[in-house]
Amino acid sequence: MGTTVTLVKDSPLDTSTLGSPAPAAVKRRGRRENLAGYLFMSPWIAGFLLLTAGPMAASLYFAFTDYNLFSTPKWIGFDNFTRMFDDPRWQKSVEVTAKYVVIGTPLKLLLALGVALLLAQSRRGQAFYRAAFYAPSLIGASVSVAFVWRSIFSDDAIVDRTMSFFGVHTGGWVGDPDWILYCLVALTVWQFGAPMVIFLAGLKQVPRELYEAAEMDGAGPFRRFWSITLPMISPVLFFNVLLETIHSFQIFGSAYVVSNTYCGPADATLVYTCYLYQQGFKNAQMGFASAMAWMLLLAVALVTAVLFWSQKKWVHYEETAR
Amino acid sequence: MGTGNVERRTILRAVGASMATLGLAATTGCGGNGGTSADGTVTIRYSWWGADERAKRINESIRLFEKKYPKIKIKTDFQDYVAFWEKFQTQAAGGNPPDVFQNAVGFLRKYDKRGILLDLKSQIDAGNLSLDNFREGVTSVGEVDGKQLGIPVGSNTMALVVDKKVFEKAGVAPETGWTWDDYFKALKTVYDKTKVPGDTGYFSIMYLYDLYLRQNGKAFFTTDGLGFDKADLTEWWTDGYDRVKAGIVTDPKVVAQDRPKSSVTAGHGASEFTWDNFTVRYTAEGDSEYGLAPIPTTDGRNTGQYLASLMLSASARTQHPKEVAQFIDFMVHDPEVGKIMGYDRGILASTEQYEAYKPTGEVDKEIAQYEEDTAKAGVLGKITPHPSGADTSEAAFLRIAGDMSLGKMKVGDAVNLFFDESEAAFQA
Repeated sequence: MGTTVTLVKDSPLDTSTLGSPAPAAVKRRGRRENLAGYLFMSPWIAGFLLLTAGPMAASLYFAFTDYNLFSTPKWIGFDNFTRMFDDPRWQKSVEVTAKYVVIGTPLKLLLALGVALLLAQSRRGQAFYRAAFYAPSLIGASVSVAFVWRSIFSDDAIVDRTMSFFGVHTGGWVGDPDWILYCLVALTVWQFGAPMVIFLAGLKQVPRELYEAAEMDGAGPFRRFWSITLPMISPVLFFNVLLETIHSFQIFGSAYVVSNTYCGPADATLVYTCYLYQQGFKNAQMGFASAMAWMLLLAVALVTAVLFWSQKKWVHYEETAR
Repeated sequence: MGTGNVERRTILRAVGASMATLGLAATTGCGGNGGTSADGTVTIRYSWWGADERAKRINESIRLFEKKYPKIKIKTDFQDYVAFWEKFQTQAAGGNPPDVFQNAVGFLRKYDKRGILLDLKSQIDAGNLSLDNFREGVTSVGEVDGKQLGIPVGSNTMALVVDKKVFEKAGVAPETGWTWDDYFKALKTVYDKTKVPGDTGYFSIMYLYDLYLRQNGKAFFTTDGLGFDKADLTEWWTDGYDRVKAGIVTDPKVVAQDRPKSSVTAGHGASEFTWDNFTVRYTAEGDSEYGLAPIPTTDGRNTGQYLASLMLSASARTQHPKEVAQFIDFMVHDPEVGKIMGYDRGILASTEQYEAYKPTGEVDKEIAQYEEDTAKAGVLGKITPHPSGADTSEAAFLRIAGDMSLGKMKVGDAVNLFFDESEAAFQA
């Protein structure tokens, strides 16, 4: 610890002695400064190595082994990966997750953008609305909200009664394999506040003069949205699409709680991470579970790459326009 | 123009950060310490599954133990059944299982194979733990492959728990020796007269199917696999699905919503096959009155029943085997503990506790009567062996039968899937 302090004290002297130091001394001092920097970073580095990098390396190794938590891992090459494609429940988990991502993410973003457009206009009480719409994002990921969700989507609860009042009899969504996933979709869509706030920030940055010019030229509201707003906020849109997509792939908590830990009924909420959890921690197939985790990482990386590639076609950065 | 719009780099950074959170990995455990303090006080960890009611009784018993053995401190921990075994598995894999824990027959071979369980024979020989004074036949439950892996705290047997009010209203009275035909007719009568489905899903309960198989000279498990074939199960599940469709068995959608409550106590089913001591829980959980009825038979006599039991087991890695043995000995033999625990974990296993506790409540009295009647009828047999992986197979049986009964899976596919998953579990 003592050395660290002197090192820090030394550093301001650097500039004054810059004129005529021996090159070796400079090098040494530079190295010392680096050392100080690393020392300051060490709590984070230790945490990263022990809690993130180390386990990730271990799980990469386990992915190629047969490992039941108790035995010594046995190297089996790509068997875990080939086994996935023969496993009907793995296929089901991919299907459920894909459905959740493909339905939930666009709905959430559409709602976020829609509400952001409404809130972008200056109105009385705007701050209140913004806070009100944002609030679900703060609490939505909590277990208690998932419990509440479970009860409002049960037989004869609010949702069932409201829909029955309008003549739609679905029963409780929570017990129905055809409906329960939409209960989870509703839960994520309800948390549209986070992307909404980002949209709002983007909307505020669209220069007013563009709209004024367009209005002069006789462009209607739809035209203004399509030709000015959308291109101008496309980087923000891209950002939201990316984040929400990546986030959706990792759904776990809500599926686990709403289905009362079973990820059912009939595997209807068997999202990818839920199956991973079951295999790893219930069935003690840790090798297979690790392989599943890496497969998810690959899939998300691939989707991300495709999105990045696609942005050439629809995202307009001002820096490139210049 | 260009008032600090979002830049490409910002997006990349944020994406990078959220990709990093994807790192799902497998690490467990933190080394256990010896649990001995400077003044020679020994601390042992004890965990079990159950609800608050059980926790209250156990904590009270522990206070008695600590008074008698002031040098031993007990640290407790409990969860519900599923969470308990998930946590236990992780702790055991990390080399840090609790010193003493509640156990059941389905887990003995699994954890013995992995070297987690202490063979208590050595402690019995050393005189720290006594296997004397147990009711007849109960200690054999904890005896596996020549080792004593668990000491029973209470015995229980599978029974039919009925909602007495609904059965009375329907005018149905189960009788000893009734057959499956009688039973299914009774379900229909109950449903026709009260509109309450008669049963909550008998075909998904491993322990009941075991009884049916035992009535027919088979069993659910052998020491290393399944004791029945695909044709047997196809018939069992096909009939079950038909009965769900007929309405005499509770709609599985409703069962899913009632969880973790039983559909019987939620008023959505008139009876359920489960362990006889569950009437204690059901009475606390539901509004009606719950009683016990005999298991239906194939030949008019043999129910296939046997005495099972909850046990206390010890970790092979405990640093204090002697103190652990003394603790188990106290918990299973001390009469005062018996009075505190009652029949919460089944009928008290040791004669000291069995004689000390005189059931006063209606529920406990009925459990005692039920096991006495069952024993008198001479139908109690030897317990079915449970291979390593039996717990996973049981969970798969429940889940797959549920999926099948929702009509989401053909019976044939469900049977194949169950056999595949069980096979994988036995080999794991």
